[in-house]
Order: sequence, then structure tokens, then C-alpha cells
Amino acid sequence: MKLKAIVDDQEHELNVKIEGDRVNAEIDGRVYELELREPEPGSYLFLRDAAVHECRVSKAHETFHVNLHGRNYAVTIVDPKRLRSGQGAHGHHHGLAEITAPMPGKVVRVLIETGDKVEKGAGLVVVEAMKMQNEMKSPRVGVVVSINVKPGDTVNAGDVLAVVE
Amino acid sequence: MFRKVLIANRGEIAVRIIRGCRELGINSVAIYSEADAESVHVRAADEAVCVGPASSSQSYLNIDAIIAAATSVNAEAIHPGYGFLAENADFARAVTAAGLTFIGPSADAMDLMGSKTSARRVAVEAGVPIVPGTVEEITSFEEARKTAEKFGYPVMLKAAAGGGGKGMRLVTSSDELNSSFTAAQAEAAAAFGEAAVYLEKAVERPRHIEIQIFADTHGNVVHLGERECSIQRRHQKVIEECPSPIDDPDLRQRMGDAAVKIGQTVNYTGAGTIEFLLSDTTRDFYFLEMNTRLQVEHPVTELVTGFDLVREQFRVAAGEPLSFTQDDVRWVGHAIECRIYAEDPANNFFPSPGTITYLREPSGPGVRVDSGVANLSEVSIHYDPMIAKLAVWGRTRDEAIERLRRALDEYQVAGITTTLPFFREVARDEEFVAGKLDTGFIARFNERRVEVEPPPEQNDLAMIAAALHYSRYEQPVFVQGGAQVSDGRWKMAGRTAGLRRWRKS
Repeated sequence: MKLKAIVDDQEHELNVKIEGDRVNAEIDGRVYELELREPEPGSYLFLRDAAVHECRVSKAHETFHVNLHGRNYAVTIVDPKRLRSGQGAHGHHHGLAEITAPMPGKVVRVLIETGDKVEKGAGLVVVEAMKMQNEMKSPRVGVVVSINVKPGDTVNAGDVLAVVE
Repeated sequence: MFRKVLIANRGEIAVRIIRGCRELGINSVAIYSEADAESVHVRAADEAVCVGPASSSQSYLNIDAIIAAATSVNAEAIHPGYGFLAENADFARAVTAAGLTFIGPSADAMDLMGSKTSARRVAVEAGVPIVPGTVEEITSFEEARKTAEKFGYPVMLKAAAGGGGKGMRLVTSSDELNSSFTAAQAEAAAAFGEAAVYLEKAVERPRHIEIQIFADTHGNVVHLGERECSIQRRHQKVIEECPSPIDDPDLRQRMGDAAVKIGQTVNYTGAGTIEFLLSDTTRDFYFLEMNTRLQVEHPVTELVTGFDLVREQFRVAAGEPLSFTQDDVRWVGHAIECRIYAEDPANNFFPSPGTITYLREPSGPGVRVDSGVANLSEVSIHYDPMIAKLAVWGRTRDEAIERLRRALDEYQVAGITTTLPFFREVARDEEFVAGKLDTGFIARFNERRVEVEPPPEQNDLAMIAAALHYSRYEQPVFVQGGAQVSDGRWKMAGRTAGLRRWRKS
């Protein structure tokens, strides 16, 4: 199985082979031979030279959240096969970032215009919820391709506020 | 002792109080909003009554509905927990008027200590130092300017009816005073319905240290030592410990005596907390305010003193004397508590409600978790985002910190963002380990913190796990004829394996 994985905006080439309890994986040329156990759904227990690594995986909004040794990793998986056959991973095209409202609230300010170039971490839209103002930031460098809200709009959790390409 | 008690609260504190009820053989009655019907505190209780819709103003703050609920199930007393109606003297009066016992101090004591200006007058009367400031509220800018010049900058503007940091402003120079004064008044009016503000000299590098007191109806007033609560965000505590890393028995004695004096002055009964600011440079302490209820952070005092504060609350409310005297109070070891919030520490602690899709709470030596959530619990936007408290105990502060790190690493919550990653970093921070705490800790910590890169191998393993999860649950399978089935090969393999296991047993 050949996949791409994106962590912290870095793209990695993955080749994972599963044979029974064995996993052979290659990531950007690094080779891993692992013994795999699955004690419960979403739990992947790796043994590597007797070292124990338990990964807890859950999926939210097209991102796999992996907890390993008390640390959280957000991993996006891109399957080239799916893209080729037109089965885009639910519109998650590489390079396109949707900025969504984390919870119901009200748009206070829009800090950008369509066509603006933005840096990673640049403030895009300010949303007020639970008496707090929250600046929604761009997850990557790019160009604002659409803005779907204006000041005063009420938004629901998951609503797309803006799109950066 | 009471036969049946209604708990006018939700979440972890309701669960905590229900546990106290069970140990004493008291029947517990939970109340819940329509949004909380399946929540953990309802599941823990003997009886439960719905008191209204999700919005807390119509449910957990609805005095009439709560008293009607208590009467309908023949409860004898109401425990308010903390937050919601816990410091509302009108509620305490309504409970008493309905012929029930309010588990807390008298409504008069709550009134007296509830307003910051009248509480400061009480402190002065008790001979306890207060931060140089105005006892009366300030009504004009001119008055504010004169007073600020008298104390010298920096000064702090505060809402008289305040709490939770709202209406609170630090003013470092006379240029800022005008705008800050107007803003503090507006914020106070918006948050508490009255614009009254007062002014204090700002204490530099202040530590927030509070003393737990307990008083019964037989004239006994004791203190249970201090809690250090200097690590705050938005003027709200996130990490508390007992004792303070200062661990100065003489200072504890002096602060304890001052707190007991205040309790005696207002004829206090039950559990109460006197908050002080302590200057880290001069070791002078000043009365700040009193909380006339059980505190969120009471577990650290319980771990170090061995007393069960909820149990003592029930005793005192039932008219019994405290089960211990001041001489019985000993402080053994060190306890630290972290408040686990559904908030994003990387985004200014912004609330992060949602469904908890996976939960694994830590356990083992010296670990206590007071939790209000379970697997698949919904963390609602309607209520406080604190989901649980993790408290650890060790013989020394160092041992407690080692346990804290271990317990935080064991703690897993998926589906929502929590403050756990922030605590994991703080527990390894040099200044924290050295006990150099003051209320500016988080601001400085955010400045100096450097993200520690995980070993590259772990990054890779996380990606492999994500890929496996993808193949297990999402990868499409093409069968002959081009039809697509939605189940992944792994899922099907898993099902087959699962069936095999069933057949074997």
C-alpha cells in the first residue's frame, strides 16, 4: 500500500506492507520492521526490537489524530489510488485548506480579502464564541481563494469560513 | 446525619459530592438539564430530576425549579458544589425558607464576603492586611487619578462585584488610566450588572496563595493550610498545589491565623477559602477575597491532610462538630492538581467542545482523578469546559512532579482538544520544577517555551499507525465487476477474526 502522509505541512512517502502480525514500512527511505497487535479498535501496538509503542488513532475532520507516548500527532493521509479514480478523499485536495469554525459563534471581523497572499499563522477571520474572541489562522502559506462570511454572520461548528490554496 | 441530599450542580463536582454521600449512606439526588440526561453525574446518583433546558440560566441557575425538585423527592438538604448558585445568598435563603438545609455558610456571611468592598472592610476589622487600595468604590476618573498617584503605579482596577478576572485591569502608567477606567466600568456592568470598580496597588511578582478554613456551629474554626494557585490563565487557576513550594511553616501559621480570624469575624460555618496575594520579593501577604464554598482545588488539601472536606461539610451542616481540631491537622507530603479543560492551549486556551471519542484516565500510586466525563460524553458549549481534575501525591514535591509527568502521559482523551499537552510541558519546565511561581508564570512560560521535537522514529510510527487505520476503516475495496464495497479489507479481516474468537469461547 503506497500512500502520502502529511504531518506539520511536511509530505512523506509511505509504503506499508502487512503480512499477518508483521508490518514492513518504508518512509522516505527509512525502513521499519514491526510486530503488530490490535488490542482494541483504534489501538495499534507496535513491537520494534522489543520496544513497545502503543498508538491510539481516531479520525476527525479528515485528519488522523495519533496519540503516542503522551504526544499527539495530526496526520493527513492521501491515497494516490483514490485521487486517480476520482474518489477524492472527501474534497481534501492537497494544497487546499478550509478554515472552519470550531464552534457556534458570531463573526466579528474579516481580516483578509479574496486574492490576498497569506503567511502560515496569519489571522483570517475573528469569531466570537463563549464570550471569547478567537482569531482563525491560516494553516499554510497561500492565496485566499474564497471568503464565505462577513462581520455579523452567525456560524455553526464546522462551517467553512474561508479557503486558502 | 441526612437521609437524602440534592446536589445542585453537574460534572465532576457533582460526582465528587455523590461519592461523599455514598460513603456516608446518604441517598443522592442529581439535577440535570435536558442536555445532560445521559451525563456521568446522573448515572452516578441514586435519583435524578430534570430541572430545565440546556441553558444554565433555565436549569442549573433556576432557583425555583431546583427547590421544587428537592421538595418533590423529599430531600432534606441541598449541596450547591462550586460555581452556579454556590455563592448566591438568595438561593441559600430560598433553600432555608423551603424548610431545607443549605450545605454552606449562612446567607448573611455570604452577603458580607460576596462583595469585594465589604469583604475588605471585614479584613480590616479582623486586623488582616489588605493590598493598599480603596475600601469604597471609585465613581469618577478624577478620584481614580488621585488615588493611583497616591499608591504609585502600577495599580489594578477591579470590579466590586467581580470574580473570574472580569472587569480587572492592570494600569502601568497615568496615560493608560482614563481608557482602562472606562473599560473596567463597562466590563463590570456587562458581567455583573453593576459598574462599581475599586482600585488597588499592584503587587509585583505576586503569588496567589489561599488558606482553607473550616468552621462548625459549635464555635470551632480551624485552618487546613495553604494552596498555591499562582499558575493562572485569564485570572483563572489551572494548576494548584499543597503546600506551596515556599513551604514555610511560620508563614503558614501567620496566614492560617489571619484566615481563622476572618472566619471568626463573620461567624462563618462550613468550608471556606481566604485568598491572599503574597509578594514573592517581600513575603508580605494581603487579603484578596473569600470564597464561601468548596473550592475546585480542594483535592490537594485532602491528599496532604487526609481529611475529606465534603464529609466534614455534611457533618457541619447536620449540626455536628468537626471531626478534628487544629492540633490534629498535619501536612504530609506534597500534592499537585491540574485542571483538565476542553480548551486548545495552542490557541489562547480557546474552548474546544465536542464528543469524547476515546478516554483513558491515569491511575496507579498517588494518582486521583475527579472526572465528570466518560467515553462518548458530549462536552457542551453550554457549560464550563473543565472535564476533570488530575491530582497526584508524593512524599516530596519532586516525587509529586515525577508522578504528575507519568500520570499526564497515561492520560488520553481523543475527539476534543484538551490542556493535557500544555501540562505535560509545564511539568517538565525548569521554573516550575524550581517552584518559581507567580501569576505571570504562563505569560513567561509561553515566551520561553521551545517546542521539543519528538524522536523522528516516533513521528514515523505515528504515520504508520495512521496508514493502518486508514487501510482498516477507509480504503475502498474493488471486487470483480468493478463494484465497490465500503468496508476495508482490514475491517473484514477483523470481523472474521472476531467471529473465530467467538466460536472458540
